Amino acid sequence: MASSRESRFSLPPQILRLVLLTIAIVAVYLVARYFLTPPSFGQFGFYRGDVLQELASLEPVYAGKKACEECHSEQYQQVAQAEHKSVSCEACHGSGQAHAEDPDVKMAILGFSRCVRCHEENPSRPKWHKQINSRTHYTGEKCTECHLPHQPNEVP
Amino acid sequence: MTNELAQVVFEVMPQFEGFVYPNEASPHPLWGVLIVLYPYITGLVAGAFIMASLVRVFDVKPLEPVYRLSLLTALAFLLCATLPLLFHLGHPERCFAIMMTPHFSSPMAMFGFVYAWYLMAVLLLELWFDYRQDFVEWSKTETGWRGIVYRAFTLGVTDESDAAVKLDLKAGRFLSIIGIPSAFLLHGYVGFIFGSIKANPWWGNVLMPIIFILSAIVSGIALCVFNYMVLTWVRRRTVEMRCLDTMGMFLFYALVFDAAVEALDWIHRVYLAEEGFQVMQYMAREKLFYTLSIGQALIGTLLPLLILGALQLWRKRVPELIRRRLYFGSAVMILIGVLAMRWNVVIGGQLFSKSLRGVMGYKLEFAGVEGWFMGLVLLALPFVILVVLVKLFLSERLPTSGHVPHRSSVPAKAG
Repeated sequence: MASSRESRFSLPPQILRLVLLTIAIVAVYLVARYFLTPPSFGQFGFYRGDVLQELASLEPVYAGKKACEECHSEQYQQVAQAEHKSVSCEACHGSGQAHAEDPDVKMAILGFSRCVRCHEENPSRPKWHKQINSRTHYTGEKCTECHLPHQPNEVP
Repeated sequence: MTNELAQVVFEVMPQFEGFVYPNEASPHPLWGVLIVLYPYITGLVAGAFIMASLVRVFDVKPLEPVYRLSLLTALAFLLCATLPLLFHLGHPERCFAIMMTPHFSSPMAMFGFVYAWYLMAVLLLELWFDYRQDFVEWSKTETGWRGIVYRAFTLGVTDESDAAVKLDLKAGRFLSIIGIPSAFLLHGYVGFIFGSIKANPWWGNVLMPIIFILSAIVSGIALCVFNYMVLTWVRRRTVEMRCLDTMGMFLFYALVFDAAVEALDWIHRVYLAEEGFQVMQYMAREKLFYTLSIGQALIGTLLPLLILGALQLWRKRVPELIRRRLYFGSAVMILIGVLAMRWNVVIGGQLFSKSLRGVMGYKLEFAGVEGWFMGLVLLALPFVILVVLVKLFLSERLPTSGHVPHRSSVPAKAG
């Protein structure tokens, strides 16, 4: 009687091994999880809490319009009175923090792409926004041969 | 003019037609060929597993020769199922993060659970119970690294008594029964990822998970036909025609069902003719003509339906050699057709503007992570893994236990 009860409750060997293997896998997973989850994970939400500090400590790469005005007030005034007045200097000239801190650091060279980014023909753009087809409009290299970006309505 | 953006403008703008929002102006859709392969490979897994459960659960005796091959096929493809996603996302070294911080808040993150369940709790367990007795036998006779592999796979259990073998068969059958809804879950889930995107009329559709699982079954059976015929050809054996005819029969019925539901989906769309219908019509006629009309409808559905249907009617009159070739041809056509179907879903859904009044273009590149060469490598990889698995676990040199999976109540004599 006792032996039959024993055999009824003993787990078959292959099932027992699988249970042990499962426990081992789960244990390895939990240990790995303990060591591989960043310590600050979940501090504020479902992300690494430290990332806020890391992002805040990044050096800014854009200087802003005011920094440009300090040295380039003439160009600043030109733009401020023309159609591109709402466009930031760095939207066309590229990021300028390094140049603002040290004038010897050169700004990026302007290319044609800066213009067509906004002015390439696209039916989804509003009609009043000036658009060209860059394939047929002009096949040369420089938009500035005919246009003044600081005063778009003037002719050079 | 070497500026990247300038090139984008030059190369992409002519590919647009009609009204396309500026923020949709990128040279490639967000999801490229790798995301096409992901549902394709996952579908092959689910289909091959369903094929195996025909033997295990539904006692389809003629299919016994392909039972283990289908399970190994499912395993080889399941091991590669996440690779396209991993490569597409970049930073494969961070892949463990999804396991370390699991959550339920995004459909994509859910794949971790679905995948782990299917691989660990269903497929590997069923394979282990099916092979356990063989592992014990092979570990006695094999030496070297093969012996070590087989010994490791016994997990130290050498019990070959009738009771133990009976338990293996029972457990295998039980897992197979669990495996069928799991296979539906696995691939239904993939359809759900697309079907749950409400803003996209090409995707947002409750039929999507059903269409995905049906096409997965069709492609999985076709893959098993392909693998079985290639394997027998490589081994210079003759194909068992009874098995092949039965596979052809199931392939035909699965295809009929799949084609009917996909046709229902289209009839539904045509009748409703909602606001996105015009652009979808244009897509089917122009942008996706080759993959949808030729690839999916003609090569993947119509021709195999005719061939397999004819073979159902006049099987006895067709000589064996012709029959074998027709089955093989149909299987290959279906595999191409289902790949085209995944392409149509994934790429098609990204080729029209959210304005529903314009379309974008997509030219598949050769090199690069999203190029077709990479896609080809990823498609070849499961076959390489399958070769290793077949050499290890379907070797002709090794005697098998001889028990047949469906007769769980009458275990064969052990040893």
